Amino acid sequence: MTSNEPTALLQAMTRRRFLRWLLYSAAAASTCGVVAFAWMKRSPLDQVAVPVGQQSLSAAEYHLFRRAAAVLLPTEGRVFAPLAQIPVLENIDSMLALLAPAVRDELSIGLALFDHGALVSGWHGKRFVDLNNAQALDYFDRWATGNTIQRTLATVVKKMVYVAYWRDANTWPAIEFDGPVSDRWGLASLGNAPLPTDQEKRS
Amino acid sequence: MRIVTVPRDGVPVTDARAVASDAALGKQFSVQADVVVVGSGAGGSVVAYEMAKAGRKVLILEAGRYQPSANFTEHLGDTMTQIYTDQAGQINTTGDVIFVEGKCVGGSTVIGACVMQKPADAVLNRWASEYGLPDLAADKLAPTFDLVGEWQGVHVNEAHEINSTAHKVIQGCERMGYSWKPVQRNVKRCALTGHCLAGCPSDRKMSALVTHLPWATAHGARIFADTHVTRVLMKSGRATGVEAVVRDPDTGHIVSNMRVDASVVVVAGGSIQTPLLLQRSQVPDKSGQLGRNLAVQPFTQVIGKFKEPLYGFRGALVGVQVDEFVESHGYQFISGLAEPEQLMVQSEQGAGDEHIEYMKSYKHMAGLNVFALDEGRGTVEWKGGLLDGGKEIKWSPSRSEFNNIVHSTSLAARILFSAGAERVWLPTFQKLHADNVFDLDEQLKQVDYGINGIYTFRMNTFNSHGSARMGVDEYTSVVNPNGEVHGVSGLYVADASIIPEPMAVAPQWTVQVLAKYVSDKIQSRASSHFVS
Repeated sequence: MTSNEPTALLQAMTRRRFLRWLLYSAAAASTCGVVAFAWMKRSPLDQVAVPVGQQSLSAAEYHLFRRAAAVLLPTEGRVFAPLAQIPVLENIDSMLALLAPAVRDELSIGLALFDHGALVSGWHGKRFVDLNNAQALDYFDRWATGNTIQRTLATVVKKMVYVAYWRDANTWPAIEFDGPVSDRWGLASLGNAPLPTDQEKRS
Repeated sequence: MRIVTVPRDGVPVTDARAVASDAALGKQFSVQADVVVVGSGAGGSVVAYEMAKAGRKVLILEAGRYQPSANFTEHLGDTMTQIYTDQAGQINTTGDVIFVEGKCVGGSTVIGACVMQKPADAVLNRWASEYGLPDLAADKLAPTFDLVGEWQGVHVNEAHEINSTAHKVIQGCERMGYSWKPVQRNVKRCALTGHCLAGCPSDRKMSALVTHLPWATAHGARIFADTHVTRVLMKSGRATGVEAVVRDPDTGHIVSNMRVDASVVVVAGGSIQTPLLLQRSQVPDKSGQLGRNLAVQPFTQVIGKFKEPLYGFRGALVGVQVDEFVESHGYQFISGLAEPEQLMVQSEQGAGDEHIEYMKSYKHMAGLNVFALDEGRGTVEWKGGLLDGGKEIKWSPSRSEFNNIVHSTSLAARILFSAGAERVWLPTFQKLHADNVFDLDEQLKQVDYGINGIYTFRMNTFNSHGSARMGVDEYTSVVNPNGEVHGVSGLYVADASIIPEPMAVAPQWTVQVLAKYVSDKIQSRASSHFVS
């Protein structure tokens, strides 16, 4: 044994103790983080039942789009068709049911990310579905100018809600869009075009 | 002398329901034909007509459903669900570009905006000289362009077909000194409903549904709808027919399996479906170009808001085109304002009150549609097994293509400002608008190329082409100058896939002309293809 060995042993023990302390601390912090995240990611809406008969929307997605529609389309007190009278969620459900399975799976992940993104993005500490109107609107606006993923997800949610609303003919009078006119105008069908004649001479 | 009569309305079609109820066909059946045509759109319908007229026994197989004109509702959402490929959700792998395509009897001709444009003579002459395709020279094809155009009532928009949106574009161009002209369309006595993209219920649009398909069936051709061709059959370097499945269009369930034995197979599924079918069929591809060189003509829509109400959604959907930059830059602009639903897809409207204000302005809006020339770097690839595989479409703008889109968008916005627009919304994923021309460039600077240009501009493509290009050399092209796949006798392609390079105009007219050209080539080789 050399004179340096006790010091080295002590140093090693200290280092081991330090590493153990570090490990325990990290584990405790992680556990706290996971517990906090798990606590924050819960929403009172998780306990709220959704109408039966959804073809494609999960319960979480239903609540997400319901919240998004309320924020994106403040029709109350305006000339626009009241949101409650337009089957926005039913239309979204129908659209999603038509997606290819692979695309639908990716969309599910994206929607979950959009919902849970509010836990961290903006430090709201709660999911998008639990944000108040001003926070939710701000969330949309910030994501619309955020990074590529944020822009994409904000766009997807907005696009689906808006398409689902504006595809309904009851929304058109407010913007004076005429909608289908052929029947109203009594347009007669001209039928098939006559068979070409004399074509070979010129071709 | 045989009397050929065309029915007044509709086309005789055998669909999945008819197959299911025909006990004689059962779960598996086969049909014999001289020519089987895969796809019933711009290219397939012309080939079918030409071949049937020449006395060939023709079978047309269409993957989409048959939607008679009388069933069109002028409701875009419903129409997209019924007769657009993937319910108008056919997208690239990054999910930011929609490849719009008709999936019905008549194909994209049914849902198009009737725009009929010829490539410039210089373009056709370049195909002739640089690609070794002398028969495609401008003077050689001119009579066919005239003939095909005349059959479909192609005409220059008259004054009553220029709506208020188009008038704003004219005004802007006049002030900027840009060249413009009325669009040519294939429509007969247009009723100015503005619902072209949802099909024409009064049969004024001269789609294949009211022209080449009824003409072909009048000459004896037979059409199967709901029939998806899984692969081309080949033996000893020769096409011998196809295998297909007939599916219920509502449930997707297979109703029957079909086999067609034919002397000639003509694939005309368009620039996306055609390469996929040829790849599934494992046709020889010495060039490695099958499914490559896909040109997309990225399309964006710039919206301007004017002080006075325009009701720009009324009248003929497309009125005028700005042709100032076609030859110099490869851009063209076409007037047209989308229906509300489509507007939601094409532009960013903000959220909440901002969206409400945006939609309140709808009747004050004019739209200018921007089509930019791209470099043809897109790819289409079939991944996986014959029945359980799927398509993969790849296209994202290169930096120079991205710069072109920025530039063309800027020009379109300037035209609208020159016409008096108070605000212009930019077709970006970011929420961007400009209230004057000085603000415009600052706004556009915010659109960063980012990661390969994805999720920058909100782009669609209506005009993709070039994914099975024509050429002399089997090591650089997919089909030969006759339109026949290199190395497979009797297998032809007659659609936008064979266009040899990216072009800057709407391709329908060119596709129809090329389809007639391919038909003539098949006929010229009749003795080697047909027994009788």
